[in-house]
Amino acid sequence: MGIRKVAETIFDRAKLGLFGFGKVFSRPKYAIFGIFCIILIAYILSFWQNGNGNWQLICSGLPLGDKLGVLGRVFLNIGENFTSLWGISIILLAILQGIVIAQLVFTWRHREKNAALDGASTGGIGAILGFIALGCPSCGIGLLTPILSAIAGASAVAMAETIGKIFTILAFSLLIFTILGLGYIDYVLASVNNRKEKHAKSN
Amino acid sequence: MQKAIRIGALVAVIGLLVGLVVYNILNPPAPDNSVWNAAMSKGDTETAKHHFVMYTDIFCPYCDKFSNAIAANLDKWEKDYIERENVLFEIRVTDINYRNGHSNNSRPAGIAAYCAARQNKFWDYYYALLAQMFEDYHSKGIGVDPYSQHIPDLPNSYFTDVAKDIEFDQDSFKQCVDNQETLSELNKNTAKAEKNLNGSGIPHFVFDKFVYDGFAGNWDTTHDYEQVKTLMNAGLSTK
Repeated sequence: MGIRKVAETIFDRAKLGLFGFGKVFSRPKYAIFGIFCIILIAYILSFWQNGNGNWQLICSGLPLGDKLGVLGRVFLNIGENFTSLWGISIILLAILQGIVIAQLVFTWRHREKNAALDGASTGGIGAILGFIALGCPSCGIGLLTPILSAIAGASAVAMAETIGKIFTILAFSLLIFTILGLGYIDYVLASVNNRKEKHAKSN
Repeated sequence: MQKAIRIGALVAVIGLLVGLVVYNILNPPAPDNSVWNAAMSKGDTETAKHHFVMYTDIFCPYCDKFSNAIAANLDKWEKDYIERENVLFEIRVTDINYRNGHSNNSRPAGIAAYCAARQNKFWDYYYALLAQMFEDYHSKGIGVDPYSQHIPDLPNSYFTDVAKDIEFDQDSFKQCVDNQETLSELNKNTAKAEKNLNGSGIPHFVFDKFVYDGFAGNWDTTHDYEQVKTLMNAGLSTK
């Protein structure tokens, strides 16, 4: 098979993947579940956005009301994220992860457990890489910097910034790949389902 | 085979995440209770009940965000915490971001800060420099996060011109900055800070037994002073 043919096949599968994505999210229950997942993930990512500062506040001696305030303020941070490219990348990561989870549930519920597991592993790697890449590397805040400091000393922050960007690109690529892959399977499942429903009605 | 590779990769990535979290928890920075430079502290060094230390680099955007939030509410903050709670607040200025190749401006800014401290005008200089940087760069989204445009390398005059309204010996200050007279102090303190930080980033806060990294999730400044108060109260209430 020539390169052109392979490219055409990949393009067609991606196109069908997008159709499948549309079919899943045209169903209200999956659309609502997807939005719920996006908000939940955006919350988790915003909580850890600048390292473990929020976690340190939760573990501090603050009264319960103030700790709830810390948890509540994370919701404000989600909205404030739209003010910078860095923040928008976090929101995009949350959207992609939310979509993957909703698609995984759809695929799993339609008895395509192997495909769902494949998607879960690829999407899971993407999600975790995105999480590790969080933080403000220019300040050395984040999960990567401390361990890199032990290995690379003063150059750790610059290294963390580069690795963080590579991890972010990898995370986006893996999540988009998973969405299109699962979308293709969902397209097939939804089409088969539609035919079954039509067939049942005609009988 | 493909499935095994995929599961192996997932396990490796989860292992990396868990390893990073465990490493960060098991390696807390060591406490250091002495005041490094009295001119860079607020409060009574002899009688203070609490010691609040901030490790910073003037070209660390989130360090500046914290300090700008205090500068905007300075009287109230000093009354509530320095006076009423008897807190000794100390800033430990480093040029960590110069050493790690992130910003060449960190070094002259650090030198100038210690030069101002020599004349006991650190706080006037620090807040004037942060205000100028906010006006010139941070308010325009420059130098605020990993994806934003970097602040260009600035001439020494940027760091001396900022001090023109401060009542101190201008010539002596300019000479100190131009001749890098405080470089050895900056170097010594940065080396000590790197040891104390033990891999944590900046801003890094040590408030008695409470340790905190970073500051307010993103560049929106609306809730910054609330975050400062939460941090201060967490320090006061952690035994």
